[in-house]
Amino acid sequence: MAENFLEIKDLVIEYTSDESVVHAVNGVSLSLKKGQTLGLVGETGAGKTTIAKSIMRILPDPPSRFVGGTITVDGTDIMSLHEREMLKIRGNKIAMIFQDPMTALNPLMPVGKQILEVVQLHNDFSYKEAVQHTCNMLEMVGIPAVRSVEYPHQFSGGMKQRIVIAMALACNPELLLADEPTTALDVTVQAQVLEMIKDLQKKLDTSMLLITHDLGVVAETCDEVAVIYAGQIMECGSKEDLFLRTAHPYTLGLFGSLPKLDDDSKRLSPIKGLPPDPTKEIVGCAFAPRCPRADEACRKCSIELTELSPGHLVRCIHSGKEES
Amino acid sequence: MWKYVLKRLFWLIIISICVAILIFSIMWFVPGDPAQIMLAGTGTQAEIDALRDRLGLSDPYLVQLGRFLYNAFIRFDLGDSYVYKVPVIVELGHRFPRTLILGLLTMIISSGIGIPLGINAAMNRNKFQDQGVLVFSMIFISVPQFWIALEMMILFAVKLRWLPTSGIDSWKCWIMPVLSGALSGIAMNARQSRSAVLETIRADFVTTARAKGVREQKVIYKHMLPNALMPIINGLGNTVCTMVSGSVIIETVFAFPGVGTYMMSAIGGRDYPVVRGCVLMLAIFAAVVNLIVDLIYGYLDPRIKAQYVNYGSRGAGRKGASA
Repeated sequence: MAENFLEIKDLVIEYTSDESVVHAVNGVSLSLKKGQTLGLVGETGAGKTTIAKSIMRILPDPPSRFVGGTITVDGTDIMSLHEREMLKIRGNKIAMIFQDPMTALNPLMPVGKQILEVVQLHNDFSYKEAVQHTCNMLEMVGIPAVRSVEYPHQFSGGMKQRIVIAMALACNPELLLADEPTTALDVTVQAQVLEMIKDLQKKLDTSMLLITHDLGVVAETCDEVAVIYAGQIMECGSKEDLFLRTAHPYTLGLFGSLPKLDDDSKRLSPIKGLPPDPTKEIVGCAFAPRCPRADEACRKCSIELTELSPGHLVRCIHSGKEES
Repeated sequence: MWKYVLKRLFWLIIISICVAILIFSIMWFVPGDPAQIMLAGTGTQAEIDALRDRLGLSDPYLVQLGRFLYNAFIRFDLGDSYVYKVPVIVELGHRFPRTLILGLLTMIISSGIGIPLGINAAMNRNKFQDQGVLVFSMIFISVPQFWIALEMMILFAVKLRWLPTSGIDSWKCWIMPVLSGALSGIAMNARQSRSAVLETIRADFVTTARAKGVREQKVIYKHMLPNALMPIINGLGNTVCTMVSGSVIIETVFAFPGVGTYMMSAIGGRDYPVVRGCVLMLAIFAAVVNLIVDLIYGYLDPRIKAQYVNYGSRGAGRKGASA
C-alpha cells in the first residue's frame, strides 16, 4: 500500500479544558488512495471534524493538543512541517469544505473576493488572470460570474455551499476534506451538491475524505468507509464490506436507525443510550455499554482492530464468531 | 438611500418638537418663579408682577408653549436669557463648540486607547494582558466620573500644581476634563471590543480563512477585526452622545464654560429659555450623530446597506397603497 495518498497512523488528539482532558481522537489510523473517496461516518462528537482539521493543522492550540501519531500526505509528514510550509499547503494541496455554509463565508466581503484571495495566494497569476479564474470557478459550480461582486447574504444556503466548494477547489487540491458538506442543505440541494463534488473530483483526480453521518451519502459517493465511535475506528473497509457484510454491532446499529421503505416494522431501532463521556479514559470496548452483544470480556481489556477479510477491519471480539 | 436619509431628517424634526414640548412642560410644572428668583429680596410684589408680565410668564400654558414653539422652530429664536440678557443662540454658539470638542476629544482618546486594549485582551485571553484590562475596566466603570475628576484635581492641581483647576485659558486646562471623562470611556470601550472580538475569534469564516492558507496576521486584520468592530462602530453614536451629555458633570467640576455649566446654572435660576435651548440643542445633536453613525454603519456593512436600499422602494410601495 505504498501509493496511499493520505496516511494517518495512531493519531491521538486531546482537548484540555480547565480541569479535564477530552480524548477526542484515540489512535485513529486511516489511509486513502489517490483519486478515491473515504467516508468517515459517526455520531456527533465522535471526532470526525477533529481528524479533518488536524490534517489541515487548523485546530486551535490551546485548547486542542496533538499528542501522538503521524499524518502523511503524499509522502510528506504534515506534523513536522514548519508553519510557513503549512501555509503553502492549506487551500492549495489540501482544501476543506466546511459544515455550515451559512457561517463559513465572511459576511463583509464579496464572495468573488473571498475566492480570489485563495487563488492569488497559491498561484502566480496576474490580477486579471486570477479574476478570470475566480469567475471560471463560480461558473463551474453553477453560479453566474456576474454575481461575484455580491455578498454572502445575497445567496441561498445551497448557493453559499457551492461557493464554499468553489473556494475549496479553486487551486485544484489533491486532497479534499469535505466536512459534512450536505448536512445543512435540504435533500434536493444535497443531491445536486454531491453530484457536483463527485464530478469535480473526477475532473481534477482529487482524493476526498468525506465526513458525514448520513449513510445514504456514503453509499452514493464513497469507495472506502470508516466508522468512528468515541474517537476510535470501529470498522473500516470497502463500501461493499460495510454495507453487505456488516460486522460491528455499532455499524449495525447505525443501519437500524435508518428508516427503510421495504420494511413493515412500525418503529426504528435506534442505538440506545449516549456516547461515552469523552473526558474519561476508555476501558475495554468503548461501545460496550450500548452494545446488545456485550459481555464481561468486552468490558475488561481493550480490543484491537482485527482483519476479517483483506481490507475489512473490525474492532469487536464477537464479530468473527457471529459469521462462523 | 436618499429617501431613507430624508425620512430620517423628517423624523428628526418631529423628535425635536416632541423634546421641545416635553422640556417646556417639565420646566412649567417645576415649582419656582424666575421673576421672584431674579428680584429676590429687593423687589416688591408689584415689581415682580410687572417683570412676570414683561417676560410673558403670566400667559396661560398653551399660549406660552405656542409662542416658544413658534419662535424656536419658525424664527429659530430661542429667546434671551433672563439672567444674562443675551440671546441663547448666541451664547450656545460660543459654548457648544467647546463642549463638542471636549466630548470629541474624550471619545477619540477613549476609543483610540480602549478599542486596541480590548482587542489585545481578547487575543491573549486569560493571560496577563487580559486580566489587567478586565481589572482596569472594572474599576473605572464602577467609580463615578466626578470622583475621578475631584481626585485628579487634588493630585495634579492642588498637590503637584502641574495643571490649573479650572477655566479654558490654555491647552493645559483641557487635560483634566478630557482625561477624567476618557478613563471610564476607555474602560467601556475595552470591555465592549474585548467581547466583540471574542465572539468572532472562533467564527467559522475565520477558520475558513485559515484553511485557505492566509497568514495569521492577515486573518486577523482582513477577516476577524472588520467583523468584530461592526457592533463597536454601531455603538459609537451612543458613545458620542454619552460623552457630550456626560460632560455636564465634568464641566461643573472643572468650571468649564460649556453647555453643561450653562445649563446647570440656568436650572437653578429657572432661566427657562436657556434650559430649553440647551436641552433642545443636545437632543438635535444626539439625533444627528445617530443618523450619521447609522449611515456609516450602512456603508460598511453590506447587509445593512441592502436594507436601506430596499427601504426606499418598500416605503414608496406602502405609501402608494395607503393613498
